[in-house]
Amino acid sequence: MNEHDAIRELLPLAAAETLDEKEERRLDQHLLSCSDCAAELGQWRALGHGLRRLPTPQASAVLLERTRQQMRAQLADATERSANPWVMGFLVLLSWTFALATWPIVRFLTAGALGWLDMSFRSAWLGLVGYTVLGWIVAAVAAIFLDRRPAGRRTA
Amino acid sequence: MGPQTESAEAARLRRGDPEALEELLARYQHRLYRYLLRFARDRALADDLFQQTWLRVAQKIRQYDPSRNFDGWLFSVARNLAIDHLRRYRPESLDEPVPGDPAGEPRHARLAARGPSALDRVLERERSERLVTALGSLPWIYREVLTLRFEEEMKLEELAEVLDVPLSTAKTRLRRGLEQLRQILETQASPGAWS
Repeated sequence: MNEHDAIRELLPLAAAETLDEKEERRLDQHLLSCSDCAAELGQWRALGHGLRRLPTPQASAVLLERTRQQMRAQLADATERSANPWVMGFLVLLSWTFALATWPIVRFLTAGALGWLDMSFRSAWLGLVGYTVLGWIVAAVAAIFLDRRPAGRRTA
Repeated sequence: MGPQTESAEAARLRRGDPEALEELLARYQHRLYRYLLRFARDRALADDLFQQTWLRVAQKIRQYDPSRNFDGWLFSVARNLAIDHLRRYRPESLDEPVPGDPAGEPRHARLAARGPSALDRVLERERSERLVTALGSLPWIYREVLTLRFEEEMKLEELAEVLDVPLSTAKTRLRRGLEQLRQILETQASPGAWS
């Protein structure tokens, strides 16, 4: 490829204003002695100018309003989802604290009738296993129930 | 996003502030819609992609890295959705250029209805219509590179980031896109008729 042909390949990029400094110097140098390329560059620049001045199509007001509403709903949903684990954690902590704090009162009011529920260190492991298994069963039942809900109710 | 407002806005966006997101929608609505319309060449599909893009933005905004250029991030989200859609529903449009139909009333009807001062506007509009039609008949990889460079005025580096290609590939696509566009225009009319 001779210099003239190589420069021809640079002309569209010159119209797009994406030549690097070296290419620009090379082009300027060539244009000083080549009126054909100068005229050709004029054509490319006119095309670039036409592209820059194309009318901008507008999104309709209805589309914008609908998008705005959906975006708000999506954000609210995302905020709720990100808050859920914290709320759950707080509720679990609260329920345990409440249960432990009220246990002496319950024992006092029932005059020791529920003393068999007291957890000794020796049977602590049994209690933990029991609570864990119970928790799994409840979670499994809840998951099955939620999965069987109709799709419409899930997204509503 | 301007440098002055960038950090404050990014912080609001990461908190999921709906007002901040709506400000973004207002700021980018025309640019994003234009890009999607040039890409899809169909208003109904562009509308759909426009909504999907903003929903995805609302969904992912907490993950947005403020050190990254917001324009690039937004257009990348839109581009990925558009490509996914075309791949799924119109795979042929990813390979084959589809010629557009020149639309609008006949030229003589418009000329008769306006005085000499309107003539330039009519001719200008006609040139624009022809250019839009020619742009629409290019393969999508060239349509998008031309719209991102000339209409969005993205720098070559930003453009390469959105297209997810090396700088040299972005440059080659730009050159080939312009060459094909000019070729189409010159086969439609006399050379220079669009200038």
